Amino acid sequence: MPEENAKLIHVALKAERLFSLGPFEVTNSMVGAVVASLLLLAAAWYFTRSSSVVPNRMQSLIELPIELLAGIVASSTSRWRGYVSLVVGLFLMILVANWLGLLPGVGTIGLQGELEGEVVPFVRPAAADLNFTLGLAIITFVVFVWWAIRMHGPIGYLKELAGEPRILAPLMFPIHLISELSRLVSLSMRLFGNVFAGEVLLATMLALTTAAVFVLPLAFFVPAVFLGLELLFGAVQALVFALLTMAYITLAIAENQGDGHGTEKSGQTSDTSEQHHAATPA
Amino acid sequence: MEGNVAAIAAGLAMVWAIGPGIGLCIGFSKAIEARGRNPDASGTIFVPYILGLALTEAIGIYCFVVALILIFAPPA
Repeated sequence: MPEENAKLIHVALKAERLFSLGPFEVTNSMVGAVVASLLLLAAAWYFTRSSSVVPNRMQSLIELPIELLAGIVASSTSRWRGYVSLVVGLFLMILVANWLGLLPGVGTIGLQGELEGEVVPFVRPAAADLNFTLGLAIITFVVFVWWAIRMHGPIGYLKELAGEPRILAPLMFPIHLISELSRLVSLSMRLFGNVFAGEVLLATMLALTTAAVFVLPLAFFVPAVFLGLELLFGAVQALVFALLTMAYITLAIAENQGDGHGTEKSGQTSDTSEQHHAATPA
Repeated sequence: MEGNVAAIAAGLAMVWAIGPGIGLCIGFSKAIEARGRNPDASGTIFVPYILGLALTEAIGIYCFVVALILIFAPPA
């Protein structure tokens, strides 16, 4: 009986291989990531080509989200200039990669796959591949471990992973270690799960509303609603990834300096949030 | 009756996403309540609110990942 029903949609968890350059396989999510990067580079070149201190309308439009995010980063610690470009870069990269996945043709136009009715798309949203999100999560992990070691030294980092009452160190050290390592898993899985689920959701909605003729009038409105949902969630997930990177680096810098009140220090620096506009980079 | 245990397990795995659902609603209601008490504090609330939402939602994503693994790469 299961062979009689054609599957409604084809869901590919792994990114499909398009072609091989020698031993190196190029998948369609790699193409998506490269397209997003090229878009960002082209926009960066175009908008800084004739930038001025007193911006015109287009330049101030582009500077608005960047200044907002940089303002939030500037109110975290006093050494924010060391990581603000990473945070804003992560946000822009994931935002463009997610929103690229909503364009018509991405995820739908492609080659004929092995099974009947299966399409191997040319371009797949970059974050719908666990390799892309894991790569970004590894970058974040290395950066915040590097900041912790830079601020406290390698012995200091291990000491502060051991926790404050030294008696409890055999208990606290594995707990802290696992919670730091789980940030890698949670960052990558969160972004991948959201974008992949969004892709499956869009494909399901499109397939459901075009499956029978009498629901065809819905085929315009229902996927449009879910496209709007994916627009919002793509932006939120980009913001969340960037803000979590900032939060992890803040925790690594400000953690347990001398006494066990690391959160108190970051609480003090966030009081300057209303003055953050003076601290944004020019 | 023929069946696929992996499919049942995948369905069972998604039941527990109710936890993050309730947690997100509680977090959101607290944020709106705090905003109602003090509208000027909206900017201060925003960043920890988004962070809290993301961390809570990640638990639901873990359920989803388990379900995906069960459907696409079920242990034999």
